Amino acid sequence: MPFVLNFLRSARTGLLVAAGLAAAGIALRPLEAPAWEEVRSRQPALRLESIKDALGQGVTVGLLGGFRAIVADFFWIRTNYVWEKYDLPATQTSIKLVTAIDPRPTYFWLNGSRMIAYDMPNWRIDKAGGYDKVPDTVEKRFDQEQSEVAIRYLNEGFGFHPEQPLIRLEIANIYLNRLKDTVSAARDYAIAAEHPDAPYYAARIYAELLRKMERNADAYAYLRTLYAKLPADNPQAMKSVVLERIRELEAELNVAPADRFRE
Amino acid sequence: MSALSVPFSFNRLALIASNTFLEAVRQKLFNFLLLLAVGLVASAQFFRDFNFGSSELKFIADFGFGALIFFGSALTITATAQLFFSEIENRTALTLLAKPIWRAEFVFGKFLGVFSVIGVFCALTIGLMMALLWHREGQLMAANPEAFEAGRIMRYGDLFIVGVLQWLKFGVLSAIVLLIASFSNTNLYTVVTGFFALVICHLQYLARDSWSNVDSLVLRSVVRLLSFVFPNFQLFNLSDEIGQGAGLDPMLAGRVALYALGYITVIGGLAVYSFRNREI
Repeated sequence: MPFVLNFLRSARTGLLVAAGLAAAGIALRPLEAPAWEEVRSRQPALRLESIKDALGQGVTVGLLGGFRAIVADFFWIRTNYVWEKYDLPATQTSIKLVTAIDPRPTYFWLNGSRMIAYDMPNWRIDKAGGYDKVPDTVEKRFDQEQSEVAIRYLNEGFGFHPEQPLIRLEIANIYLNRLKDTVSAARDYAIAAEHPDAPYYAARIYAELLRKMERNADAYAYLRTLYAKLPADNPQAMKSVVLERIRELEAELNVAPADRFRE
Repeated sequence: MSALSVPFSFNRLALIASNTFLEAVRQKLFNFLLLLAVGLVASAQFFRDFNFGSSELKFIADFGFGALIFFGSALTITATAQLFFSEIENRTALTLLAKPIWRAEFVFGKFLGVFSVIGVFCALTIGLMMALLWHREGQLMAANPEAFEAGRIMRYGDLFIVGVLQWLKFGVLSAIVLLIASFSNTNLYTVVTGFFALVICHLQYLARDSWSNVDSLVLRSVVRLLSFVFPNFQLFNLSDEIGQGAGLDPMLAGRVALYALGYITVIGGLAVYSFRNREI
């Protein structure tokens, strides 16, 4: 009988504690709900189905439990390790795993794409016998294939960083430096330059590419508009360089003195 | 003379708290975990081998908060359980509670003692991390000024606030462990259940996300109830974006702090209620 009484007393205490906790949860919900909504909106959904096979159960629980950033950091360090070993499949898989775990840092997208587009073609050439033995057509094919993978990867990044100018610039750089595709590069530099957070050099490179494509009149009009928008007190804006290029274009286009750009 | 014959005393509560604090600081566990956390934060210095550039700061911040959260949680659960049961196992609780002392004074005194110890732990870990970040950021600014055109990119005020919020989260966890200890018979049971509670509180948002998709009405109600019973620890997870240029919304930080304080008060009160019904 005392056992039953003790049990009933414990059960009553337990039920009252649970009821108290539930009541606290309900009472604090108006405080929690807006905060949780804000926290949640900053955390992109975890695509567990694409990464759970690559991670152990412990790591998956860690990810769900709030150690997402540090797990991504560890996998980024692992990416650097396999990158130093020139292990192409492992590096490519690891790069994608890192951004699947935590797509928020643009650093992962930018540096991952650089490994894919700039380093991996060289690894493939080395593996195929080196620059002396591999024909130009094959080298170009490797460049093309790796650049396409990198651009596809960066485009995925826009899903988490819509119109991020640095990602757009990275795509433009790949078109320009790896694929030698001036038209596509110019298009992406122009889009990046439109963004308020874009670095100043994006617009300058776009104007230079217009000149390279022999569209001097367009470059001249673009630089005139650009000059008016540049701040005088920021050395990164390189206002004097832009003016210099305007003058060069005026000479090339034979602009009449009366029509020349005035500061 | 029973406890209720004397008024509630903050002096007695402070005495129990200061005694608990001293006892905790003397424990090897505190020193060991503090050393581990400090070691992990300091080891972030090795990131410079990877040449991460300005992103190295994000890595240092992530590792610092990782160490704080991991070792802080372990310290909170073990120290709370250990300090509570040491009083019972050494029979000092019997002597203490035979005197006119409220059980609320005992429970909240224990809580404040542990909360102060965790506060010291958080302050040391965050302080070291901030010093490391400041030093390294200065070096990176000198080496690569164009990456720091607008000045320092780390928001040290936000780091401090996130540190305080983590401390409050550990306060909620400590209150939960005290609640478990108030009815548990052994230290081991309390520690293990405390860790389960920690995992559940971190993952309860998953249950909350999925309750509306559950077909069974009974199961749906249970899942929904669970989402109310356990505090949502993911709410305190505000450190991820600090190293990425994003600022912390003060309103959000204030809400989370109030949420933690609300839970500490309620769970602490429930621990007192449960402890009052316990035979010692």
